[in-house]
Amino acid sequence: MRLKRRGLKLLALSLGLSLVAAACGSDSTPQGTDGTTTTLPGVAGGDFTDLGTIVGSPLEHLDPALNSTLDGYQIVNPMFDGLTDIDATDPANPKIVPDVATKISSNEDASVWTFEIGKGQTFASGEEILPSTFQRSWERAADLAGDYSYLIGFIDGGTERLDGSAKTISGVAIDDEAMTLTVTLDAPYSNFDAVAGFQLFMPTPKEAVAAGMDWENQVMFGNGPYKMAAARNDQEVKLVKNDAYDGDYNGDKWPERLDSITFKVTADPDTSFNSFQAGEGDNANVPPAQVAAIQADDTLGSTLDVSILGSYHYVFNQRAPEIGGDENLKLRQAISMAINRDEINDAVYDGSRTTSTGITPAGIPGFKPDLCEYCTYDEAGAQKLFDEWKADGNSQAAPLKIQFNADAGHEDVVAIVVDNLKAIGIQAVADPKDGETYFSDLADGACIMCRAGWFADYPTYDNFMFDLFHSKSIGGNNFGFINDKFDGLVDEAKQTTDKDKQAQLFQDAENVLLNEQTMAVPINWYRGDYVYSKDRVASFPQTNFGLILWEQVRLAA
Amino acid sequence: MTGYVVRRILLIIPTVFFALSFLFFLFFTLPGDPATLIAGGAERNPDPIRIAQVNERYGFNDPLLTQFKDYWGRTIRWDLGDSFKTNRSVNDILGEKAVNSLRLSIWAILLEVIVGIAVGLLSAIRRYSLADRLTTILTAAASAVPVFVLGFILQYGFAVIPNKQDWPEWLALRTSRLGPDSWAFSFLPTGEQWRYLVLPAVTLASVSTALAARMTRGSMLEVMRADYMRTARAKGLRERDVVARHGLRNAMLPVVTLIGIDFGTVIGSAVLTESVFSWPGLGSAIAQSVVKRDLPITLGLTLAVVVAYSVINLLVDLSYAWFDPRIRLGQGEAA
Repeated sequence: MRLKRRGLKLLALSLGLSLVAAACGSDSTPQGTDGTTTTLPGVAGGDFTDLGTIVGSPLEHLDPALNSTLDGYQIVNPMFDGLTDIDATDPANPKIVPDVATKISSNEDASVWTFEIGKGQTFASGEEILPSTFQRSWERAADLAGDYSYLIGFIDGGTERLDGSAKTISGVAIDDEAMTLTVTLDAPYSNFDAVAGFQLFMPTPKEAVAAGMDWENQVMFGNGPYKMAAARNDQEVKLVKNDAYDGDYNGDKWPERLDSITFKVTADPDTSFNSFQAGEGDNANVPPAQVAAIQADDTLGSTLDVSILGSYHYVFNQRAPEIGGDENLKLRQAISMAINRDEINDAVYDGSRTTSTGITPAGIPGFKPDLCEYCTYDEAGAQKLFDEWKADGNSQAAPLKIQFNADAGHEDVVAIVVDNLKAIGIQAVADPKDGETYFSDLADGACIMCRAGWFADYPTYDNFMFDLFHSKSIGGNNFGFINDKFDGLVDEAKQTTDKDKQAQLFQDAENVLLNEQTMAVPINWYRGDYVYSKDRVASFPQTNFGLILWEQVRLAA
Repeated sequence: MTGYVVRRILLIIPTVFFALSFLFFLFFTLPGDPATLIAGGAERNPDPIRIAQVNERYGFNDPLLTQFKDYWGRTIRWDLGDSFKTNRSVNDILGEKAVNSLRLSIWAILLEVIVGIAVGLLSAIRRYSLADRLTTILTAAASAVPVFVLGFILQYGFAVIPNKQDWPEWLALRTSRLGPDSWAFSFLPTGEQWRYLVLPAVTLASVSTALAARMTRGSMLEVMRADYMRTARAKGLRERDVVARHGLRNAMLPVVTLIGIDFGTVIGSAVLTESVFSWPGLGSAIAQSVVKRDLPITLGLTLAVVVAYSVINLLVDLSYAWFDPRIRLGQGEAA
């Protein structure tokens, strides 16, 4: 998922107070599991002014069928509940749990999924949520053709609905009497329950269908704990309690949740922090230069120590003669091994990120530590590989270009990489590109070694391996990595219902990517970047998907 | 005079046509396929089906000249279309942004006029005094400090520190955003509104005020040496009247030109100030729309800026006749 504001200037994050610790720490009652009310530190209700979410250019979309940014999802998520949700109480082991669906089952090969919808659930308008609501919402999502609409193609007949050759999604069968929604997939997919809870598949009321693309410019509402107070404008998006909310996946209605959340639009991260310091709001986006000051200030809390399920890495273009192909494997391995990731983390990010040992981060089911064999800094080892590459008759015709989107905080990282490579004799140069056209340039084959980043949409290994590196991925494989063995392993893993076997297959695929082919160079995994005033805010939980659990935010007494 | 004004107003039509036509064609020559970018290609490699849908929806499949003709057909009917990105009506967006830009611009220009001219005048009539030297240094500094640096310093000094030090509320200004929208006569801030206006207006005015001050000083020094000034003094006029009636009025022509250009510029180009202070005006909206290839917004808002710029230029030209009665507008053309 795109993370809009962090693409602007974020250079450094640092340690701080834990999100989940803040939310569910020693002075909070453990979350209920039987519909009972959970008590959190702080007072009930109140109005929260958020300065840390809409930072940078204004939000494009708030419609779950159109939005593709994490910033937008921070507002979409409290307005809608999907078929499933993610229980991230244990950040190391997030679980997919039924939410609007009360029971989920699949056939043996995970090609047909059945969701039983709980009776009596309604939108804020009072409209009942039925299986046909989902059918209608998904067809609407296909019509609106947002960035994530390709997910509809996971369903049998979805592609035909997307390209307009079919009027319905043939793989969706509903029974409003029995309250069942049966989904036949285009291909078996054992993690579809995770995808089914994602924003694109969230239920939308009939008003959304009537309004079409303009719905997000109207007063939106869904079935979540909050709804819009008024149509969005350039200055703010205001949410207020949805009194018709029927509770989260535990049945907890969080009656003490905030009365309102006002997301203020701030065009610049530094201004966001200045506004926060001037007392104009309750939280802010952490500017890179303020990490140390925030850590040292006892009056401030932050989510800087929250490990976000996101990877910052560089990829090689398989089609580029100077770096792709089997003949350049040792060069790629030498590059990966020559990069001092700890130096980058300390110098650029104040030690606040987690140095990666793979693309897929800890917290994704199936994660294997230290999977990458060439991600540990070893100058001598890198030198040896580079010398072997040269001994095979290869040489650099021109310095290796390292591409990145300019003015987005990557300059310092690339400078260190260039220095690291120079130390073993590899000539490299920074090649900054215009931010907006960066990825479309890459899609045209301009990438040689280029920056990439990804935040998990849902806790599945394939959200990294398939979406980023599979040759058939739509979302991110724009540098041309095509490897039949890798594709085969990922395809098999996606269809495997045995979780252990599935994990092994995904790990094998990542092994191909990072070790056998070394087509990607992991650098680090992200951390949270919200700061808040402890005087004002008692609880501010951020999940490792980067989402703020707004119903669990509490103001201080 | 009337004929001159009518001709100048009619000249706005070709100006707008060429400016927007240029932008229209420029849009298709910028790097990156518009459909790919609109379909999400700025961040990811989009679905070909989605690209096809975007091409179909926005008519990108049509020949460029057909699109061009369609665009002008719609524009003449004042149908500015909807944003490619947010689907909001460009008319609505224009209405919101133009008001914000005008309010900020008016106050920035008022500061430029009042402070710039006053300081420049003082500097000229007290040449080489401490005040003159101080003015020279301060105007040089104001011209040199980047807008975003000045903006952040002002935010810290006048909003963050008062809050941290628990200064009285009336001393605290606001860092950003439009405020409570409490304006009298559409541009006079009332209630809390002035707290939101002061910092962006001062920041936006900083460079232009410094330039106006320097130009007023230079122009005044030139005029002060003129024969008619000596004559005025010889007639026994008070120095105050000599300076105000004969000196300043004659010195104002280049300053008025500068202020006119500034007014036109700040309406549509205050990108940095609008960004630092989250003041959603035309400048930042146009800049973002160009980056995002949101053509209807780029063209719709630029249309307003070009018209505003042309009208302000006309007003500046008309003001010449008031400042210098020897100027007879339109007579040269008639002859």
